[in-house]
Amino acid sequence: MRRNPWLLLVAALLVVLALGVAGCGGDDEAADEPGQTGEAEEPAAEQVITIAWGAEPPSLDPGLATDTTSSNVIGNIMDPLVVLDENLEPQPQLAESWEVSEDGTTVTYTLRQDGQWTNGDPVTAADFEYSWKRTLSPELAADYAYQLYGIQGAQEYNACESNCDRLADQVGVTAVDDHTLEVQLTSPQPWFIAQSAHHSFIAVHQATVEEFGEQWTEPENIVTNGPFMLEAWEHEASIDLVKWDEWRNADEVTLERVNGLIIVDGTTKLQAFEAGEVDAFDGGGLPPAEIPRLKETEEYEQYEYLGTYYYGFNVENVDLEQRRAMSLAIDRQTVIDNVAQADQAPGAGMTPPGIPGYDVINPESPWTPASGDLEQAQSLMDQAQSPKTNINLFHNNAPGHREIAVAVQDMWSEIGINTTIRAQEWAQYLEFLGPPPSNQVDVYRLGWIYDYPDAINGLELWTCDSGNNNTNFCNEEFDGLVEEARQTPDDAARFELYAQAEDVMFGEDGEMPITPIYHYTLINMEDTCIKDTFYIGALNSMDLTDVVVEGECS
Amino acid sequence: MATYVIRRIIWTIPVILLVILLIFSLMKQIGGNPFRQTERAVPPAIQANLEEKFNLGKPWYAQYAYYVRDVATFNLGPSLVLRNRTVNEIVKAHFPHSLKLAILAIGWGLVIGLPAGIASALRPNSVFDYAAMLFSNIGFALPNFLVATVLIYYVALQWDLVPTNGWPSAFWDFNDKRLILPSFALGLFFMAFVARLVRGTMLETMQQDYVRTAKAKGLRWRRVVLRHVLRNSLIPVVTAVGPLIGLVITGTFVIETIFSIPGIGRYFVDAVAARDYSVVMGITVLAAIVVIVANLIVDILYGFLDPRTREART
Amino acid sequence: MAVQEPQTALDAGARMLPEAGVAAGAPVRQSSLWKDAWRRYIRNRGAVAAAIVFIVTVLYCFLIPGIWIVPGIWTDVIHDIDPYNVDFSQAYQGASLAHPFGTDAFGRDLFARAALGGQVSIQIGFAATFVILVVAILYGGISGFAGGSLDNVLMRFLDALYGLPFLPFAIITLAIVGTVNILTMVIALSIVSWFTDARVVRGQVITLKENDYVRAARAVGARWYRILGRHLLPNTLGILIISMFLSLPGVVLGEAFISFIGLGINPPDASWGAMANDGRDAYRSHPLTIVVPSLFIAALVLCANFIADGLRDALDPRTRET
Repeated sequence: MRRNPWLLLVAALLVVLALGVAGCGGDDEAADEPGQTGEAEEPAAEQVITIAWGAEPPSLDPGLATDTTSSNVIGNIMDPLVVLDENLEPQPQLAESWEVSEDGTTVTYTLRQDGQWTNGDPVTAADFEYSWKRTLSPELAADYAYQLYGIQGAQEYNACESNCDRLADQVGVTAVDDHTLEVQLTSPQPWFIAQSAHHSFIAVHQATVEEFGEQWTEPENIVTNGPFMLEAWEHEASIDLVKWDEWRNADEVTLERVNGLIIVDGTTKLQAFEAGEVDAFDGGGLPPAEIPRLKETEEYEQYEYLGTYYYGFNVENVDLEQRRAMSLAIDRQTVIDNVAQADQAPGAGMTPPGIPGYDVINPESPWTPASGDLEQAQSLMDQAQSPKTNINLFHNNAPGHREIAVAVQDMWSEIGINTTIRAQEWAQYLEFLGPPPSNQVDVYRLGWIYDYPDAINGLELWTCDSGNNNTNFCNEEFDGLVEEARQTPDDAARFELYAQAEDVMFGEDGEMPITPIYHYTLINMEDTCIKDTFYIGALNSMDLTDVVVEGECS
Repeated sequence: MATYVIRRIIWTIPVILLVILLIFSLMKQIGGNPFRQTERAVPPAIQANLEEKFNLGKPWYAQYAYYVRDVATFNLGPSLVLRNRTVNEIVKAHFPHSLKLAILAIGWGLVIGLPAGIASALRPNSVFDYAAMLFSNIGFALPNFLVATVLIYYVALQWDLVPTNGWPSAFWDFNDKRLILPSFALGLFFMAFVARLVRGTMLETMQQDYVRTAKAKGLRWRRVVLRHVLRNSLIPVVTAVGPLIGLVITGTFVIETIFSIPGIGRYFVDAVAARDYSVVMGITVLAAIVVIVANLIVDILYGFLDPRTREART
Repeated sequence: MAVQEPQTALDAGARMLPEAGVAAGAPVRQSSLWKDAWRRYIRNRGAVAAAIVFIVTVLYCFLIPGIWIVPGIWTDVIHDIDPYNVDFSQAYQGASLAHPFGTDAFGRDLFARAALGGQVSIQIGFAATFVILVVAILYGGISGFAGGSLDNVLMRFLDALYGLPFLPFAIITLAIVGTVNILTMVIALSIVSWFTDARVVRGQVITLKENDYVRAARAVGARWYRILGRHLLPNTLGILIISMFLSLPGVVLGEAFISFIGLGINPPDASWGAMANDGRDAYRSHPLTIVVPSLFIAALVLCANFIADGLRDALDPRTRET
């Protein structure tokens, strides 16, 4: 009792002192972390940028990745077969050419001779055969395995419970020789070449994967084949890339180094940008309230982004007249101008502008005028057979959705609808939506970002048996049109079918299972020193190979 | 005394088991699918593959038994969402950052709050006392996201003295400007807490009969303060700092988000949202163990400091 | 947040006892105890100021959002003062006579929104502290009153619960219930916050149980519920009120924290914490949106602290001299 309080005090002081001493003593040993703060002062000629990654990548394994940041990193350290150009047309990358058979079900890629891995191995067709089958294997249990379901035997192998090895052999992907990859499709899929730009189709290095198992994506283990190499990955803190001088096309890459800080919070990201600590973001994530101010700056950049933000109706709870009325009551332009803020296109139908064939598909709907039509909405509401004046609107808990819901809540109150907004966390939310949705759901919010630039990718969500159709909407004519489109390789004829399908949903007699709010855009902040050469594609694919640092980065 | 300590230590084992069971059964109640992280539907076959891979198909008691076994061998399992990482790696890589943040914050509390509290108590109702108490009341009351935001705006953006965000990657790197703002923003609360606590207990001690007696006996005031007042006033401070460690894991979350610090609090909140059961379980069990051990140490210290509590608590 | 000076609360309770013991028995004496306390409280200027600010804030929160309904009052600004009225043409106005605190992203008046947010925060704060106290009294009271092996079992169980970290459990609880409203928020905030208070109550009850007047009551054959209701509870009332004001800041800040994670209550309602969180995303362009709700939180926390201090001094004259 006598000594002890002193002992404790001394111990506490010692800890404090130790902290202080460590603070002072660290001067000599602690070298400045490269790129954390100093980049702004670098001379202009230095081809180094610092970007802010929007999230910690859940996985840098092309087979397992599902999110944008992972995909952006993978896209710059790996060599995809094809890339999409600004018109969303596939351009040769690792594949120097491709051929599609008469019936459209066989695709043959010819790989370049000079593709190689960072350890010196050549990139061969066998790498792709291995990688795709690995992604499909039940043991890997990849979330995105279904991206490859267009390949013959792929779904069967992925779902196998017995005889898996035999089923693996039957998957329609074959390395004919080192540089010829033959793919058998289940049906003609004219979008397949473009789809193979998706990160799920990127090859991995077999020996590395087998040697290191789940640890193979760590920087000390990974073997890549793209323009940049993964130099460091400090989880939740930073991902640094350096140019790989041996890359087959390295001469055309000017950028030497990309220091990447992982910053999740939008305001934190913006503060870092305005303090000159980062030069660009990997797309999006800005707090909407700041956008009007940022728009006035030279660093503001806006990209096309293939996707649709929509409100889905539970058609069993809300009848057709009321769905039309509610759709008409939404003033999309006001939502865009005051809440979303990023010059999005008002949602007319499912298919977003910019997609091939949009002019033909052109989803013009009498029920989705850009500025709404309250009068007509009110009269339709009065006609509704069983009007439901108390509506539950569900959204997931993420920045931006609540604000849009509040705006729409206010608009619906104009036609006598009392909306209760209910937020849920993402994982729970999706389970709640089904399909079939919980009967508490009257209206829900979701968005769809396209995997590949063909309208089918968005339209096929609304077939009766689709896992993404949370509306209870089921229309045989619609399903027939989608199925027919899947069998129609000819673009013009297929686009016509898409137009008819859109009409079933949104036309004069359309069922309105959903009401589109807007078609996405992607906004970004880019320092003027790189703004002209920094590029993000319409499927949110950041491409760093063309970046040239010009002048002083602030 | 030895039996008391041993009894307390043994008692923590069923407590930890019970906590694991509680967390485990709570997690079973949470709806949501950890394998659907984007709006894209997961085909049933893929869902089945994933559940198979992560043993989610087994009955709950089997899962619990496996889990207890794994925890006992310090294996917290794989993450369901961060597919290339295990919970052990996550804890090992990120817990130290949160711990460091909390230690530094408590350090601010001791370095500034302690002397301020003592000085206030020695001259109650002086200008210094009022200023210190005003400051500590404000520090106590302001939500730390506001403190952090204001600090970033002025110190980092306007005056450009420190970076707006970030954290050194090495645990032992204490020479980094990026440590200052986050630890201060979090530490303001502790400073205020410690200052108020010390002032209060010291004033109270000075009312005690033995202090009055010592004073009446003609002992020098400085000696009375050092020997009697300070010594007895610091006991509550020391014992209060122990449980504060329990706040490390989530109390740091806000600061970690605002300053983009790769700590464990962010992992926890993200994991709850993503329904990454193994990560949530792992971090909560870890937090519980930290709290239990901190309480154990405090109890044992109390037992040493004050024999009366030994009787009362056993 | 779970560290609301438990020692001091304990001490306050322990110190109160002799006073309470003296006052026990005759109702006349009891009322004079409260009268004394009131006199002492009034003398503490800080506490009186805090109480006034607190009452004004509560009145503001609960009256302002209703005023727009009352016809005749402020007819000109009727629309402006409605906390729910969305008008995008008025978005992000600065402070002015019509909008003392400006407006938010939807053009809603922040003067009215802050009042609404205060209703939510104060309701959640008091409801949660109340639930915490009720649970603590039941658990601690039963444990202390019963004694013996039941007491032992309950206390061992409490030891186990003590290991539960506060915020993770609040977050997991909200995740389980799914939707967030005032009720579920109260449950989440109180579910793991009553342990310390339960221990305090148990300690109180054990000490009181041994007091002479309780023994006397028992000796004359009073039933246990009579002892509990007539003697034990009135004598713990003071410490319970103090405890309520002491726990309030932790609960209010805890709610703000949970709102920061995005688990706040459903719009269009919002607590101060949720409003401040929204404001943080706009603060570079519109600083009022974070400053206003944050200052309200700070004011509430400060007032609660001062009131608790004042009450403690009032009910425990021995610390009053300082």
